[in-house]
Amino acid sequence: MSSGFHIVVCGSLVPDPLQTLEPIAGPAGPALKNEMMLPSVLDPWAAHALYEAAHLAKTAAGSKVWLVSLGPKAKLQQLMMTIAQKAPFELVVVDGSASGFTDPFEAAAALASAIEKIPGLDRSRLLVFGGCASASRDASVTMQMIGEQLGIADQFLGVDELTVQPSGAFKVLERIEGGQYQASECAGAPAVLAWATGNLPEPPNNPQVGMANMRGIMPALQKAQPAKVGAEGVTFAKVELPQQKRETRIVKDVPVEEIAKEIITWIKG
Amino acid sequence: MTDPMKHERQSMDIDIVCVGFGPAVGGFLTTLSRAMVDANGQTLLESKTTPGLPLQVVCYERADDIGFGVSGVVTKGRSLRQTFPDLDLSQIPMAHRVEHEKVVYLMDPIGASRRSWLLRIADGCARLAHKILPFVPFIQEHAVELPYIPPFMSKEEGMVLSIGQFNQWVGSQLMGSGTVQIWPGMPVNRALTENGKVVGVRLVDQGTDKSGKPDAGYMPGMDIRAQLTVLGDGPVGPVGRELNDQFGMPDGNHQRDWAVGMKAVVELPEDTPLKPGTVLHTFGYPEPEIFGFLYVYPNRLASLGIFIPTWMDSPVRTSYRYLQYWMMHPYLWRYLKGGTLKSWGAKTLQESGKRGETILAGDGYARIGEGSGSTNVLTGSGVDEAWATGVQLAEGVIELAKAGKPFTKENLDGAYVRRRRASWVEKEGRIAKKSRDGFQTDFLAGLFGMGLTGMTGGLLNFPGTIKRPYERVPSYEQYYRGKISRDELNRIKKEARAANVAVHDALLDASGWPKVPYDGKLLVSHQDALLLGGKVQAAGGYADHVLFLNPRLCEQCETKLCISMCSAQAITHGENDGVPQFDREKCIHCGACFWNCVKPRDGDPEQSNIDFRAGSGGLHSAEN
Amino acid sequence: MEKILYLAHTQPDGTLPKIAFEVLSAALELTQKLSGATLSAGLIGGDVQTAANAIAGAGAAKILGVAGPDFASSRYASDAEALQVLIRQSGATLVIAPATSRFSRAMPGAAYRLNGRTDTHVSGFETDGGKLSIQRWYYRQRMMATMTRTTRPWILLMDSGVFQPWQGKTGTASVELVPVALTEKAKRTQVLGFQAPAVSQQTIRPDAELLFVAGAGWTKKQSDGQTHVKEAEQLILDFLAKTQASLGSSKSLVDQSTEGAAVLSCLSHLNQVGQTGSTPRHPKGLATCCHGEEPHVVGWRFINERRAVNLDPNCGWAQGKADVLYVADAFQVMKKVNELAGKECVVQAK
Repeated sequence: MSSGFHIVVCGSLVPDPLQTLEPIAGPAGPALKNEMMLPSVLDPWAAHALYEAAHLAKTAAGSKVWLVSLGPKAKLQQLMMTIAQKAPFELVVVDGSASGFTDPFEAAAALASAIEKIPGLDRSRLLVFGGCASASRDASVTMQMIGEQLGIADQFLGVDELTVQPSGAFKVLERIEGGQYQASECAGAPAVLAWATGNLPEPPNNPQVGMANMRGIMPALQKAQPAKVGAEGVTFAKVELPQQKRETRIVKDVPVEEIAKEIITWIKG
Repeated sequence: MTDPMKHERQSMDIDIVCVGFGPAVGGFLTTLSRAMVDANGQTLLESKTTPGLPLQVVCYERADDIGFGVSGVVTKGRSLRQTFPDLDLSQIPMAHRVEHEKVVYLMDPIGASRRSWLLRIADGCARLAHKILPFVPFIQEHAVELPYIPPFMSKEEGMVLSIGQFNQWVGSQLMGSGTVQIWPGMPVNRALTENGKVVGVRLVDQGTDKSGKPDAGYMPGMDIRAQLTVLGDGPVGPVGRELNDQFGMPDGNHQRDWAVGMKAVVELPEDTPLKPGTVLHTFGYPEPEIFGFLYVYPNRLASLGIFIPTWMDSPVRTSYRYLQYWMMHPYLWRYLKGGTLKSWGAKTLQESGKRGETILAGDGYARIGEGSGSTNVLTGSGVDEAWATGVQLAEGVIELAKAGKPFTKENLDGAYVRRRRASWVEKEGRIAKKSRDGFQTDFLAGLFGMGLTGMTGGLLNFPGTIKRPYERVPSYEQYYRGKISRDELNRIKKEARAANVAVHDALLDASGWPKVPYDGKLLVSHQDALLLGGKVQAAGGYADHVLFLNPRLCEQCETKLCISMCSAQAITHGENDGVPQFDREKCIHCGACFWNCVKPRDGDPEQSNIDFRAGSGGLHSAEN
Repeated sequence: MEKILYLAHTQPDGTLPKIAFEVLSAALELTQKLSGATLSAGLIGGDVQTAANAIAGAGAAKILGVAGPDFASSRYASDAEALQVLIRQSGATLVIAPATSRFSRAMPGAAYRLNGRTDTHVSGFETDGGKLSIQRWYYRQRMMATMTRTTRPWILLMDSGVFQPWQGKTGTASVELVPVALTEKAKRTQVLGFQAPAVSQQTIRPDAELLFVAGAGWTKKQSDGQTHVKEAEQLILDFLAKTQASLGSSKSLVDQSTEGAAVLSCLSHLNQVGQTGSTPRHPKGLATCCHGEEPHVVGWRFINERRAVNLDPNCGWAQGKADVLYVADAFQVMKKVNELAGKECVVQAK
């Protein structure tokens, strides 16, 4: 495998998971309160995919990484300030809604079209990476549809490990039921891999990587193509926060033995 | 690309490096970026390090994003309006024109606060006046609204802002211009100096253990070598304070007055009568020295909080619980009851103002903003001044860059410091310089002094000797004499240590402060406030940034104000009550610890035994 | 009028997984509630006769099947094609299928080929006025939407644990086998087999009665100023052995491995419960040494009875997130619990 892979990572922003989220009825369907003000992070599983892509690109010489992001341009720009220090990539921006209430079918169409337009992309060496689900829509659907539009027959969901052999064939471990992995071997690119957490830690912020990425990020943002991503044919009757407050009984200043007894009784009961 | 796994320290050459992204650097970069390229994208200021390209300008910010942290502000916004003459506040979330301003004296409705006899008499008179003249609207049962706001304090025609949102707004415009780079999540460790010149900065090491030793994934912090280093790292910025150590302060200047501002964003009840643009300043309660503020934003959001200053001579300068008592004051509670706490945070303010002014420029560096001493302590204004100093530096830099002159002390003095000296920031700062000295004596003297300075334009001031922060802190025994017996004090201290909690809660309980009735919405536990609408981020692989320098001094320390004062409960009792423990995962980087330490540093009486260094992370907050 | 197709796939031994019976109940309920709706079934597997017999009594109008060695195991290309053929053949407007890993991977591809739409994580439905609307979660189980679609076919992947498994008698079914031709392109991937992760004993086990969640506190310094990671691990493993509980953890605990801190070797990211981890379904959950912060507790959405052991009486669990909070040292409590539990298994799998 001398020529390496062309790895396209699909990943966009989601509200920082630590924030309080509240649904509201917007003019075009459900939305989040203060959506444009909420701090964003790169979708956590997509972030793992990006780190895996950067890692693979480093080990397979001649590889290149693109990050294709569908989201509001202004918010993506902010996100890039953080992400760009993590891994080298070329950014492709699709300027559209990153709301969880858009339809994955439409998001996939916008992303796949953007991938098709990447100049110099070698489809025979293409690996499309992404998260196994977004933290917004949480559907586990988008990556497969992107693969379909690109005509890619080999797809994997919930990937934790990718091992490339010298021939270009690769082994994949996918998460399945019961805490097990399914191991598969694929003859080679092109393929779609929707990642779970993988095995790599978040890379440290590297200012040199940031400087290199930045040269391409601003032009990419300026070249961003607007995309209309909605949820045609979908009607939301309501979106609610579950009422989950319980009356908590606080057991304090009670001997450990009593607590233990109570727990045992509860478990058995 | 080089392999980051290699332990070699990388280096990069650029033209200008900025430390910290706040209003000062915002003003600097905004002004500079406009002069870098013309309307056609042609380079106007050329880089010396990479000829052919425009100036290479990079700003490093410690926090994980440029708009994190909770901070509300009211400002006249003179310099902001000068930079943005067509400023449309509706384009900035949580911004509004000041519509209505009040200064309110709060009396103590509980009887637990420490008031001098003079103040008690004054309170008694006001209460009597309310009984006799119930129809006078500004004298109320527990508060007196000042019928007149002295012009030096008034912010009318100004604006209320969320600094977080404002920084986001400024930052996104800067990034959109493509001329300068702002990197969040990247703390600067220290300045690089060679032969008395600053030649750039070193970023913090990553992949280290708590003590800073290389660990898994070690990556030494990069050296960013720059023609000019701009320090805008604020009052607790470690790089600026390090330069104070290295180059000294101008004669007679020192930074001894500090305050911690603890703030919250609250969604007001649906039927709130408070209109956007309402500004309330309070003083007198929960302790006389505690000033408070409430600014109303659009969409029923309000930013509110209190300031706990060094001159509140207490060994338990606890902010969080005082903030709750302040909110529950009847004057404010009628507005806040039924509200929801959206987010919370704290920050240290440099309260020395002009007296805390540092050396403003040297070979290869310049200092701007709050850390450089630009805050006006009389008008209580800092953002406008900080922004102005950033603009002044940018104008100087543009002048020098156009003339092809290097950033030497002499050139920067001529181009930047001269501009600053000639500006309103300097003129008003001089007036304000001694305005708060009266607080060194007591609260009423302080108020009187501020009035005197304000009304005479600085001609007359109430004198006071500025003590170092640790010289102001009495022992528990002294402070609670007559209120809590020695035996009870000892019991409280012992129990707090055994439970590893700060002693302040029990002390407040014992000295007459009632329990706070948590409602789960606005009045929540300190721990919950830390989790509301945001959370502390502390990515792994960084060294601890709070250090207890001489363990013996901590062992000898009875007061351990660092534990009580810690805004985030990140500092707790250490083993056998020795050196306190620091938990980086809780720290919100307010910086209160280093000026609340009551032990002077070995060999440097201007500093304490706690060192506050560059650290990564801090508070994430949505509605800030 | 809707034509409903129930889809399921076999396990390696030819039987259907439990979730397939749960979703069959859902399909039957849906057919009953949508007036005029018809139900047929479709099965995929190496050999689908056993599975077809198992659902023979459910009353599907017909049972279609795709079978053969190419469909014995879970592979995207062959599965997506088989699903597409089955849906097309049945003429279904509504498809209801279990959200197994196999269908979760392949169904969106089939939907794409049919120009249909898929909804996943479906946890309930309403049929008011003869119109179907579904409930599904958004933003990692933080909010629940009720929604409907006009596009057909509409494919629903149902979460487990929502419906009671169908418990009809096994019969003898006649399966209408549908041929599916695979190109060579669809066979580029070979399934090699299954691997249990190194932590095989201590994962999230969907069938366990109790979820035990360990928080970062287990590896932090205890009251004596020392960490006791080995002891913590032993206490937890003992407890799991005695209770057959499922083991989950907070994010902060599993993250420590990448931060070079001491870790519990029995834990990996697979155990993580919460926003970026799993949202398991168990009747009971016991949290220890974790703070009950919102991003973590969203992973507890489907834990009915919740108890927590934590030293801090003001922790998140106390704020209406747990039924009972024991303010105590988890080391001591779990030690005592293990002692009291004796050598017997306290709880059987449900």
